[in-house]
Amino acid sequence: MKVEIKDLSYVYPSQDCALRGVSLVMEGTTPVAIVGQNGAGKTTLVKHLNGLLRPTSGQVLIDGVDINTHTTAQWSRKVGYVFQNPDDQLFLESVRKEFEFGPKHMGMRKEEIGERVEYVSNLVGLADQLDTHPFDLTSTQKRFCTIGIIMMMNPDLILFDEPTCGQDAQGIRRLRKIIQELRNQGKLCITISHDMRFVAENFKRIIVMKKGEAILDDDIEKVFARTETLKQCFITPPPITRVAQGADLKKTPFTGKAFMEAFEEERERRICQM
Amino acid sequence: MGKTILEVKDFSFTYNQAINKVLDHVNFRVDRGSFFCIIGANGSGKSTLCNSLVGLIPHYFSGEMEGGIRVDGMDVRKSSIGELSQKIGLVFQNPFNQLSYTAGTVAEELAYGLGNRGVPGKVMQEKIEHMAQLMRIDDVLSKNPTELSGGQVQRVALGSVFILDPEILVLDECTTQLDPLGAEEIFEIVKKINGSGVTVIVVDHDMERVASYADEVLVLSGGRAVKIGSPRSVFTDPELEQYGVNPPEYVKISDMLRKKGYTNRETAITEDQSIQMVKEALKG
Repeated sequence: MKVEIKDLSYVYPSQDCALRGVSLVMEGTTPVAIVGQNGAGKTTLVKHLNGLLRPTSGQVLIDGVDINTHTTAQWSRKVGYVFQNPDDQLFLESVRKEFEFGPKHMGMRKEEIGERVEYVSNLVGLADQLDTHPFDLTSTQKRFCTIGIIMMMNPDLILFDEPTCGQDAQGIRRLRKIIQELRNQGKLCITISHDMRFVAENFKRIIVMKKGEAILDDDIEKVFARTETLKQCFITPPPITRVAQGADLKKTPFTGKAFMEAFEEERERRICQM
Repeated sequence: MGKTILEVKDFSFTYNQAINKVLDHVNFRVDRGSFFCIIGANGSGKSTLCNSLVGLIPHYFSGEMEGGIRVDGMDVRKSSIGELSQKIGLVFQNPFNQLSYTAGTVAEELAYGLGNRGVPGKVMQEKIEHMAQLMRIDDVLSKNPTELSGGQVQRVALGSVFILDPEILVLDECTTQLDPLGAEEIFEIVKKINGSGVTVIVVDHDMERVASYADEVLVLSGGRAVKIGSPRSVFTDPELEQYGVNPPEYVKISDMLRKKGYTNRETAITEDQSIQMVKEALKG
């Protein structure tokens, strides 16, 4: 899977300019996180990747094919978009029907649909809720239901818009597993998130957006080391990183293990200086 | 005025057509003026408890209720939602549920509760302008609330409750749509409101934040109040994780440093304490 965004600009009908010349290439299976202030253009950007929005100027290519050559419905086989608000996505009377809807319309074989329902419902933790009405699910279950709906269609590119919103520790662990599983299957996941701990634990490449532009696009270590730039984007590094920065450790750790390594290295250095 | 402003006594609730109790014999008190946080895994009963505190349960959501809740002396069961709303305000988890859907503009949305109270137009106008500035929504006052982004709607939802100056403020995961600094900014505003004497009750999944703001923390698990106490006593409880809650990362850092003998200070539960601990440990 290869996504190419070339000098993309988008102006809403209200004349609000939401994207200002964004150029990015996302390729392979390494999951990418997009972070940034509210209103920075994150959702507007990903809505271009399945044609929900069409460029005002510039170009979007999915595996070399211009996004404008197909409808969003046609792109849905290849690109799945999990909405920010689950209620925007759910409309049928059971989880099972929601899961079966997309594949049926794509012409997937009945046996394959059955197999996928079992596999996906287990992965998203809704195996015992298949006959439940989606509106009777808890807000977290609804979110996993919308993720399941997209996974059912087996797209190569999956776009998650704020999947961590309202999730507890268990939900975060499940999301992590889903993203790893998709990666193992050779899929590309692009995720918008405000939860920097989740971002730090699951993504290597981070794109930071500000006022319609992608102002940083780099390895997570390099991105979170730019504290001043991040502040201007209303982003704060995750807690472990902040403690390391506050105590002037030389490295930028995101995990407990990396923190201890950075700490011991700094301690060693100071002892040697004495 | 008594010390206790809110009392939940042996309170249980089962939604209509549901089998299990969502809240199961819950007991606790909230001190006047305190910053009180409720934590727990999803499905532990946090939102149901919030709805019960403001009277949406039993007056809007029906079901079987046992025990009682008193809000500054008022029995929630015997008081109407209108009467209770003079005292206690709730900001919903989903900000779109907060909108009246009768207001054509954000300004009208902010005016909605004030209008119901019969606040004079001039006072109302001043309050709206002040609140719009505080919540940074002054540039969208003339927009339709349904045209706004999730983060903006969340600011409108918060503003529409803050503007009513309730004595008790209940916030149910009210910053989920905001970027990290935006969320921090809202908590600073809430802290300021709390500082002016308003009792604040907050449901949140961000344990670092809970640790730095809360006077007292209540842990719900499977509808039961399993622990209540200071942030320190709750977050250093080794049983916490079995309730589906991870302690703040600072606790993890403290444990690691202690285990390797780099510190013998008491567990850090906030960022400042944690940085202090690490700096000291570096000196050897």
